[in-house]
Amino acid sequence: MTSSAFSRWWRNLSDGVISTARGMRITLRTFLRKPVTVQYPDEKPDLGGRYRGIHYLEQDLCIYCDACAKACPVDCIEMDATRHGKELEWHAFTLDYNRCMLCELCVYPCPKDCIHQGEEYALVTEDREDMVRDLLTWKGLTEEQKQKVAEVEALKAQRAAGGGE
Amino acid sequence: MGLTPSFAQAPGSEVEVAVPTQDCSINMGPQHPATHGVMRLLLKADGEVLTGAQAHLGYLHRCAEKIGENVDWTQYLPYTDRYDYLSAMNNNLGYSLAVEKLMGLEVPERAQWMRVLLAELNRIASHLFAVGTYGLDLGAFTPLFYTLREREEILDLFQEICGARLTCTFIRPGGLFNDAPEGWLEKVESFLCRFEERWKEYDALLLRNKIFIERTAGIGTLSGNDAVTWGVTGPLLRASGVDWDLRRDQPYLVYDQLDFEVPLGVGRQGEVGDCWDRTEVRMSEMLASLSMIRQCLDKMPDGAIQHPDAGPVLRPAPGRAYVGVENPRGELGHWLVSDGTKHPVRVRMRSPSFCNLSVVEHLLPGAMLGDAAAILGSIDIVVGETDR
Amino acid sequence: MDGNFISHLLSASLPPGFPFWGLALLAAFLGALCVVGFVSILALVSVWLERKIAGHIQARLGPMRTGGWHGWSQTLADAIKLLTKEDVILRGADPVLFRLAPALVMGSALAMFAVLPFAPGVQFADIDLGVYFLLAVASLTTIGVIMAGWGSNNKWSLYGAMREAAQATSYEIPLALSLIPPILHFGTFSLLSATEQQSGWGGMQWYIFSDAFWVAIPSFFLFFTAALAENKRAPFDLPESESELVAGFHTEYSGLRFAFFFLEEYAAMFAASAVATAYWLGGWNFPGMTFLSTGSLWLPILGALAFLLKAMFLVCVMIWIRWTLPRLRIDQVMTLGWKYLTPLALGIMVAAAGWEAWRASL
Repeated sequence: MTSSAFSRWWRNLSDGVISTARGMRITLRTFLRKPVTVQYPDEKPDLGGRYRGIHYLEQDLCIYCDACAKACPVDCIEMDATRHGKELEWHAFTLDYNRCMLCELCVYPCPKDCIHQGEEYALVTEDREDMVRDLLTWKGLTEEQKQKVAEVEALKAQRAAGGGE
Repeated sequence: MGLTPSFAQAPGSEVEVAVPTQDCSINMGPQHPATHGVMRLLLKADGEVLTGAQAHLGYLHRCAEKIGENVDWTQYLPYTDRYDYLSAMNNNLGYSLAVEKLMGLEVPERAQWMRVLLAELNRIASHLFAVGTYGLDLGAFTPLFYTLREREEILDLFQEICGARLTCTFIRPGGLFNDAPEGWLEKVESFLCRFEERWKEYDALLLRNKIFIERTAGIGTLSGNDAVTWGVTGPLLRASGVDWDLRRDQPYLVYDQLDFEVPLGVGRQGEVGDCWDRTEVRMSEMLASLSMIRQCLDKMPDGAIQHPDAGPVLRPAPGRAYVGVENPRGELGHWLVSDGTKHPVRVRMRSPSFCNLSVVEHLLPGAMLGDAAAILGSIDIVVGETDR
Repeated sequence: MDGNFISHLLSASLPPGFPFWGLALLAAFLGALCVVGFVSILALVSVWLERKIAGHIQARLGPMRTGGWHGWSQTLADAIKLLTKEDVILRGADPVLFRLAPALVMGSALAMFAVLPFAPGVQFADIDLGVYFLLAVASLTTIGVIMAGWGSNNKWSLYGAMREAAQATSYEIPLALSLIPPILHFGTFSLLSATEQQSGWGGMQWYIFSDAFWVAIPSFFLFFTAALAENKRAPFDLPESESELVAGFHTEYSGLRFAFFFLEEYAAMFAASAVATAYWLGGWNFPGMTFLSTGSLWLPILGALAFLLKAMFLVCVMIWIRWTLPRLRIDQVMTLGWKYLTPLALGIMVAAAGWEAWRASL
């Protein structure tokens, strides 16, 4: 064995031992530190104010303009309402989370700033049908709306009657 | 010669046994821990030594390019997140730059600086994952968890600014969707200080480890000439000693105002362009990105983050544009064709993982079976991008 | 206090005139039951320990839920799951070899425990060639692994088996050679006698603290490294190397048969650590044992505790190494074995022989 071969042999050996010891020191140091993980279902992570979770709708602001549905790349928003003059009778405002990418593209074009993404993220279900969520807080007409519609109808009827005379 | 051994025996001579052997074909994948996704490598092996390799793709094909022809210009953004899911910001950026080139938009200055900052943060996150999983490929589990720990902090920063961790959809044609929230830039600064310390840990634990050096130095050497011939880009190309970085050589955004080094492979442990060099280039690029982010934080101007002409529905003028950006994995090119309507006519990507992967056919023959994982890992593919 | 304490107990409680062979059989059966129970519990504890240590090394916690306190029953739950899983044997697999392999591997791992001296009087068999027996039985696992790899009808398994064949045969040489210094020092192959010779200095006359410490310490490290390779532990886990060979030789195993391979790994780890403990770290001897009278019941209990603690510490070091280092390549494993460990072991053997001869001539 030549001397250079022997020194290489020796260097390989010492490098191996030293770098192993150095690595073991690092792992030991981390072993003694506190873990960084969050015990998830017990502790909830901080999501930050802009988290893009499941949507929520401010229904009283919505004007049924379809801008969000048009902006959606996967066509997952469907809405249905009947207009009674200025009042809206809501039938459905569904979001299909089978398709939704939670990309927030529906939020930006809204003229009334009424659709948002919330901090709810657990989309766990045993049935695909459950993934289609209705964002409406109420359906049909509220008492208040009914009253307003009735007023408008009455006014219309009055006008019609007046026109007929 | 048949399959039975033939014995040629002459009196007084040694017995000569000619045993016909056959190469063994092995399927590495589609379900294999080292293929980083659903990909199949068809290996031919003579014992432990590989004699051939063929990559079979398409298990994760999601028609990303065809979808582009059926959605709006802006609606395509979420899909760009999803081909290289480890560097969504960079993908958003590449696509947005191409659309802006079609429209002839000049992005506000603050948005440009923010874009560089986000892209470089994402580059650190992506390289962290690449280096960590590379350790995993070589049997070292722990570095992955350390790199994930820091990557998690970057993802938390992303979550704070755009609400998502991986699929950001944040950089859009014309600027950004939103400005940074109060105190966000300070958080980036404090992360960088922590990260610098942790970087030394990975260096000592993984890169300077003797076993790691033995496993990677001189393995899968790709010469500079071959790298150019195979169309390899990104850290792979630079590890082979080719000094080519789009950020410096075809500057976009404000990269020309930044002072940064482009790390090259020098063959410190083995040969230029071996697996160790690739990992080292990625590690050094993290530090380069870190200095770039620092400069961005220093020079960040105030102002708008969105061009006023870029509304939700875009209608670029008829024409075609190609923009290549330096992604963590190499050059990500977008080739867009517009006919003036709100839908693209053609969206085409030059995805770096796909081009880089082709080189396995060149690198694997002659290597050992254990090196297959080492070489494949050093290429750092994302199968979402190779298959699109 | 020698030999099989179970036969002592039995001969005292059985009626006079009970045939000798019956006694021997009964003792063997009861002894085997004890070993199986002990090894199972040991493996469960080691696996839990491995998960917890791995977790904390990786800045996380490891199992935390099953059983309440730090997930102590996680491995128990996993064992029950493995027992109830479907037992799959592939079409095309060699049915005999495939079934025989886990039994052989497990059997050889259990047999190793027969000669381990846990505490004064607690040893199943004190064989004159105790260490020799241990090494011989340990190499049976290699045959089991090769059978498993060959019988699985899977190319990845076959690769794992071939690697194991090459690796295990290479590392048996430094393993056996590094055992020679303590054997020369104590002048015995018997683990019991070696342990008893280390009881001086108030229980601290361990081989690594003796006058031959300068050969004891390097030979200990050599033995430990070779034992890592022999037991297929990282960085020498080539036969199963997860990221290369999927799971190597036990890719196609499921259920109880897989559990046997799993159990064997931890049993063999403990056995190797126990040999190192008995020869280098003083076995059951612990400081302060001189204060106990020889007939005291505390002596075997505390002695067993000391032995277990020392051996488990070495097991923990093995775990620590596993979660620190990357894996070597097969040719590098062979290089390390033949070009580094074997010459070093030979050198240390010569040094130890010279030292012992010089000491004997005084």
